[in-house]
Amino acid sequence: MDEILNILMILVPALPLAAAVLVAALGPRMLRARSHWPVVAALIGSCLASLVLLWHVWRQPSGYERVATYWTWALVPDAYAGESGTQSVDSRIDVPPGTATPADSARLAGSSPRARDFAVDITLRLDALTGIMLAMVTFVSLLVAIYSIGYMHGDRGYWRFFTYIALFVFSMTMLVSVSNFVLLFVFWEAVGVCSYLLIGFWYEKPAAAAAGMKAFLVNRVGDFGFMLGVFLIWTTYGTLNYHDTPAPVRDTVAASAAPVGGGEAAEIVPGVLGSQRIATGAYVGGGTGLAICLLLLLGACGKSAQFPLHVWLPDAMEGPTPVSALIHAATMVTAGVYMVARCTPLFTASPDGQLVVAAIGTFTALLAALIALTQFDLKRVLAYSTISQLGYMFLGLGTGTLAGISAGMFHLVTHAFFKALLFLGAGSVMHAMGNVIDMRQFGGLRRVMPRTFWTFLIGCLALSGIAPLSGFWSKDAILASVHARVEVLEHELVRRQGAAEPDADPAHGSAGAVELSADQLGRGAWAYRLMYITALITAFLTSVYTFRMLYLTFFGAQRIPAEAGGRAHESPGLMVWPLLILAGCAAVAGMVLDQSYWNGTHPFAALLAGTPSLTGAVASTEALGAFHIDIAAVSLLVAVAGVACASWLYLGDRRTVHRLRAVMDLEGWAPAGGRANLLRLAQRPGVRGWNQWMERMRLGWLMHLLVELVLLLALILSVPLLLCRFMSPYRLSYGKFFLDELYWGLVVQPLRGIAWLCSVLDDFFVDGIVNALGRLPAHLGTILRSTQTGLVQFYALAMILGGLMLLVLVDQQLVSRVGAWLAAIMAGCGAW
Amino acid sequence: MFVDLSTIGLVWPEFILILIAAWIYVGGTLAPGRTTWNVLAWSTYLVVFLVMLKNERALWHDVAAGLVAINGPLIVDYLGQVSRYGCLLLGLLITMIASRAGAERLATEVSGTIMMLVAGLMLVCRANELVFLFVALELISVPTYVLLFLGRADRASGEATVKYFFLSLIASAMLLYGMSTLYGVADGTTVISGTAEVPGIRGALDRLPAGHTSLFLIGWVMVVCGLGFKIAAVPFHFYAPDVYEGTTNINAGLLAVAPKVAGILALIRLVLAVVPADAAWGWPLMWVLAMLTMTWGNVCALWQQNLRRLMAFSSVAHAGYMLIGFTVALVAPAAGGVGATLLYLTVYALAGLGVFAALAYLSDERHEVDGVAELAGLARSHPWVAGALAFCLFSLAGIPPLAGFWGKLALFTGAVRVVLAGDGGVSSWLLVLAVTGVLNAVIAAAYYLRVIGVMYFTAPVTRVAAPGGMGAMLGTLACTLLVLVLSVWPGLAFRMADAADPLLRQARPAVVAAWRMEASAAFAHDGDLAGRWQKGGD
Repeated sequence: MDEILNILMILVPALPLAAAVLVAALGPRMLRARSHWPVVAALIGSCLASLVLLWHVWRQPSGYERVATYWTWALVPDAYAGESGTQSVDSRIDVPPGTATPADSARLAGSSPRARDFAVDITLRLDALTGIMLAMVTFVSLLVAIYSIGYMHGDRGYWRFFTYIALFVFSMTMLVSVSNFVLLFVFWEAVGVCSYLLIGFWYEKPAAAAAGMKAFLVNRVGDFGFMLGVFLIWTTYGTLNYHDTPAPVRDTVAASAAPVGGGEAAEIVPGVLGSQRIATGAYVGGGTGLAICLLLLLGACGKSAQFPLHVWLPDAMEGPTPVSALIHAATMVTAGVYMVARCTPLFTASPDGQLVVAAIGTFTALLAALIALTQFDLKRVLAYSTISQLGYMFLGLGTGTLAGISAGMFHLVTHAFFKALLFLGAGSVMHAMGNVIDMRQFGGLRRVMPRTFWTFLIGCLALSGIAPLSGFWSKDAILASVHARVEVLEHELVRRQGAAEPDADPAHGSAGAVELSADQLGRGAWAYRLMYITALITAFLTSVYTFRMLYLTFFGAQRIPAEAGGRAHESPGLMVWPLLILAGCAAVAGMVLDQSYWNGTHPFAALLAGTPSLTGAVASTEALGAFHIDIAAVSLLVAVAGVACASWLYLGDRRTVHRLRAVMDLEGWAPAGGRANLLRLAQRPGVRGWNQWMERMRLGWLMHLLVELVLLLALILSVPLLLCRFMSPYRLSYGKFFLDELYWGLVVQPLRGIAWLCSVLDDFFVDGIVNALGRLPAHLGTILRSTQTGLVQFYALAMILGGLMLLVLVDQQLVSRVGAWLAAIMAGCGAW
Repeated sequence: MFVDLSTIGLVWPEFILILIAAWIYVGGTLAPGRTTWNVLAWSTYLVVFLVMLKNERALWHDVAAGLVAINGPLIVDYLGQVSRYGCLLLGLLITMIASRAGAERLATEVSGTIMMLVAGLMLVCRANELVFLFVALELISVPTYVLLFLGRADRASGEATVKYFFLSLIASAMLLYGMSTLYGVADGTTVISGTAEVPGIRGALDRLPAGHTSLFLIGWVMVVCGLGFKIAAVPFHFYAPDVYEGTTNINAGLLAVAPKVAGILALIRLVLAVVPADAAWGWPLMWVLAMLTMTWGNVCALWQQNLRRLMAFSSVAHAGYMLIGFTVALVAPAAGGVGATLLYLTVYALAGLGVFAALAYLSDERHEVDGVAELAGLARSHPWVAGALAFCLFSLAGIPPLAGFWGKLALFTGAVRVVLAGDGGVSSWLLVLAVTGVLNAVIAAAYYLRVIGVMYFTAPVTRVAAPGGMGAMLGTLACTLLVLVLSVWPGLAFRMADAADPLLRQARPAVVAAWRMEASAAFAHDGDLAGRWQKGGD
C-alpha cells in the first residue's frame, strides 16, 4: 500500500511532465494536430491518481499526513548556526502561555544546539489540503484540456499550447505537493513561467506580448517578497521543510545533547509546519512573525492578483480563453490562497498579519467589483470578478479561524468550478463571435447558442450566490465566519471590560482571542465588522455585474458582429461537454460538500480540518459547519437584490442605465462660476435694478469689486469640481481607478529614467574607459612592431644586447666588476 | 667515458629513427615517390611507438612511481618517458601534414629530415649531459635549416632560411659559450643532474669553494639566451615573424612547435637543474623575460594581416606564458610551475600545430594562404576545416572549457598559489605577473577572435582551394581531436603534468636512484626492474 501511494504521489505530477516532454519533442514534426492525445491521456491518469489519493486521505483519521522523500537535491552541511546556541533560539521563540510548557520549548530548542544542514529534499506530501488541491487542479485541467481541443483547433501553435498546459499542470501539482519552502518557491516560479508563456501565446500580437511581460514583472515584485519571506523563515526557524526531519547524525556530540524532554533516541529537527512544532505551538510572533506574514502575503498578492499587485490579471486575458479559465481563474491564481492556508500556523502567530490578510482581501474584493461594474470586455469582467472572489478567499483566511480557513478553501473549490465554467462559456461566445469580446458589439445570443447560455446562466447564479448553487454556500460560509469572528472579539472585549483584571481566568475566554491585547481586540472587532459590511456590499455588486454581463451578452436584441462572418453557431460538442460537466459541478458541489442545511455535517470542512497545519494551532471557535440561517438569509437577500437591480437596469430598454451613468459621470456639473454666468446674473430683473441703482449712486466700483471677488471664489471652487469632472465615479470605475496610470507614472517612468541614465553612463563613461584601454595595446603594438626591421644584423645585435642586459639584471655588480677589470687591463696596458 | 651497452639499449628508438631516415634519404634518390616513403615514415613512427610501449612496460611502472635513473648521458624519469612518446606523436602528425610538402622529387628529403628532427627531439627529452644535450639540439637545428631550404624555391623563402640560419648560429654559439662556462666553473663536470657518487654540475659547484659565482652567472644567462632563441622569447624572437612569413605554412608549424618543445625541455633539464636552491637572482630574470615576451608578442600580433606573422607573434606570446611557470618554479619549486608549463606546452603544441595544419591543408607550393582576409567565408566553403581552425584558435585564446584554458589556469594558479602562500616581496611581483598574464589573454583573444570572425561572418572574397591533401586534413582533425580530449578530460593532463614535474618530484620524499641499467633490461619484456633501483640522492 505504501509503495502504491508513493507511486501515485509521483505519478500525479510525473504524467503531465512526461506528456509535456513528449509533445515538445514530437509535437512540431509528428503529432501536430494530434498533440492533445498525450496530454489528455496524462491528465486522465493524473486526475484518477489524485482522486484515489483524496479518497485515501478521506478514510484516514484527522491529522493524517504522508511525507515521501525521494532524493536530496541540495545539501549544505551546517548551514544554520542557530546564532550560537540554545539561549538565543529559546528567547526568540515566542511561546504563547498555556500552550507550551517551558520544558517543551527547551526540548524544542534543545534539538538545535548544533548547526543544522540546509537540505532541499525532493519530498512530496499528502494531506487533506494537498489532496483537495490536487483533485481540483487535475479535474479542472482535464476538462479545460478537452475543451481546448475544440477551441484551439487549427491554431499554428497547437502542440506548443498543449506542451505548456501539461508543463503547467506538472508545476501546479508539484506546487501543492512539495513539502519544502524552497521547492514551493521553485514551482511558484514555474507556474509563473507557464503563465507568462501562455499569456504571450500569440506573441505576434503586441498586446499579448506586453501582457505576458506585465504579468511576469508584476509577479516579480510579489516573488521578491516571497523570497525574502523564505529567507526570514530560514533565519528564524532554521529549517525550510514543512515536515519534521531527523537531525543529521554526524558526530558523537549528538549523544550528549540527547533530548531533554522525551525518551526518543532519534533527534528531530522540527519542520516549520511539522507536527512537533504545531503541537508545541513554537511559532515566532512579534515583529519577526509579522514580517514573515507580510512578506509571504506580498508573494500571495502577486500570484493571486490582490491589491496592489492585481493589475496584471486583467491584461492576462490576452491569452487563449482556456488558459484564462485554467490558470487565471481556477488554479494558478489560487496558489496564493493555498500558500496562506498552508502557512496558517505562521499567520496564527501574528494576529496583525491575519488582519492585514483579511483587509487586503476585502479591499480587493470591493475594488475589483466596482471596476467590474463598468467594463465592456466580457473576459475582463470575469477577470475582475476573479480578483474580487480571490479577495473573498483571503478574507476567509484572514479571519484566522478554522471555520474561516475552511470557508476560504471551500470558496476556492466552488469558484474553480463556476469561474472555469464562466470563462469557458465566454470562450464559447468568443469562438462563435469571431474573437470579438466587446459586449457592446453583440447581444441577444441566447437563441443562437442555447447550451452555452444555460450553462453560463448556472455559472452566473453560482457566482452571484443564489441558493442553492455552489457559490451561495461558500460565500455564506465566509460571511458567517467573519461574523462569528466579530462576535468573538466583541464578546471578549466586553468580558475584559467587565472583569477587574484582564486575564484573570483565561480558561473562560473565547478561544482565539485570549492572547490578543486589548488594543488588538478593539482594532480587530472594528475592522472585522467593517469588513463584514464591505463583503455584503461586494456581494450585492457581484450579482449586479454578473447579471449585467449575462443580460448584455444573451438578452436584448440579437446582434452579431461582422467578424463572426454570418457563421455564428453553437460550439462543437468537445467544447460543450466540459461546459455541461462544470455546470453540473457548479450547481451541486455546494450542496454535496456542505450538508449543514439538512443534516448538519460539512464533509469538506471536516476533511480539510484534518490537515496537520490546521490542527492544533488554529483556534476553532465553534462547531464546524454550523448553518446560520440569519446570515444566509441576509446574503441571499443581498444577492437577489443585486440580480433585481441588474434586471431593472439592463432588461428591456436601457434608458435607466444611461441616465444612471450620466449621473455617476457628473454630467452637467460644469463649473458653476464664470464671467458669462455672472453677466447673465446681472441682467436678471431684480439684480439689474439694484445694479443700476448702485451705478447711479456712484457705487458701481463696489459692485465690480464684488463681482471680481465672486469670480475668484468660483475659480477656487471650480478646481475640485473640475477634478470631479475627470474623476467621476463612473470614470474611476471604467478607468480601473487609474492604478495602471499611477504605476506608470510612479514606477515605470522613474525606472525608465534610471535605465536611460545607466545606459548613457555605460555608453559614454564605462565604454569610453574600456575602449581607451583597448586601444592601448594596439598603439603599443604599433611602436614595438617598428623594431621588426627585417635586418638580420639588427636582430643579432638585439639578441646580444638583450643577453647582456639579462646578465646585468642577474648580477648587479657585474658592471662595476667589468669596470674594475677594464681598469686593470688599461692599467696593465699602460704599464706595458 | 661512461657510455656502455645499456645506454645504447635505452636510445634504440632514436637509433632506429635515424637509420630509417637514412634509408629514406638513400632510397628516395633511387626510387622517388611520395606515397611509399610517407607510408614508411608513418609506419616507422607507429611501430616504434608501439614497440616502445610494449617493451617499456616495466620501465613505465618504475618511473610512474617516481624513480629516476641516471645512465651515462641520459636521465630516465617520467618526464623523459612521457615526452618521448609525445615527440613520436609530433613526428607522426608533422609527417602527415607535410605529406604533400615540397617538390615530388624531394619528398623523401622532407620526410627523412623530419624523422631526424624527431630523433633529436627524443634525445633532448632525456639529455643529462652538456655535450649530449648540445648535439641533440643541433640534431634539431640542422634538419630545420634543411627543411626551411626545401620549403619553397623563391627569394622570400631563401631570405627566411638564411636569417634563421645566421641567428640560430648565434644562439647556438651563446648556448655553447654558456655550457662551456658551466663546464669550467663546475670543475669539468658535464653531467647535469648527478647522484651522490657522480655529482652533477650543481653538486660539483656546491662542493667547490665559493668564488666562481660571477662566472657561473654568465654561463647560466648565456644558456638561457641560447635556449630563449629556441622558444622565441623576447629579445631573441626577432627571427620568428620574418621567418614564419617567408616560409611555408608547414615549416612555420614545425618552427612553432619543435624548437619550442626542445627549448622548454632543455630549460627544465639544464637551467632549472643547475640553479642553487636559495638563488634569489633566478626568478627576476624569468619574470622579466615572461612579462616582456608575452606582452610583446601579443601587442605585436594585434591587427596583423599576415596569418603566419600573426601566429609567429602568438607563438612568442605563448612562450611568455610558459615562462610564468619557470618563474614560479624558481620562486617555489613545490608550486607546480614546471608541471603547468608542461601542460601548457602540450596544449599549445597541439592547438598550434592544428592551426598550421589547417592552413597547410588550404595551401600548396603554388599558393600559400597568407592573409587573414583570404580566410573570408571559409565557414561556408570548408566548414570542417573552419570548425577545426576555430576550435584550435579558441583553445589558443584560452576560452573555457577548452584545453588552452586549462593550461592558462594551471599557470596562473601556480603563480597565485605562491602569492597566497608567500611573503610580501616576491608575491606582489608574482601577482603582477599573473595579472599581466590574464590581461594578455584578453588582448590575445582579440586577434584570435578576429580570425574566427573573418571565417564565419565575412563573405568570401576569393574561392579558397584546398590542395593540401588528405594528410593535412587528417592532421588537422587529429590535432583538433586531441585538443578536444584534453578539453573534456583535463584531469588526466593535470595528473600527468604534475607527475612529470621534476621539481615536484624532488619536493616529495625523494626516491632518486642511481641505477645502471643492463643492456638486456631495455629489451626485457616484463622483468622485475624495480628490484634493481637503488636509493640514492642528489
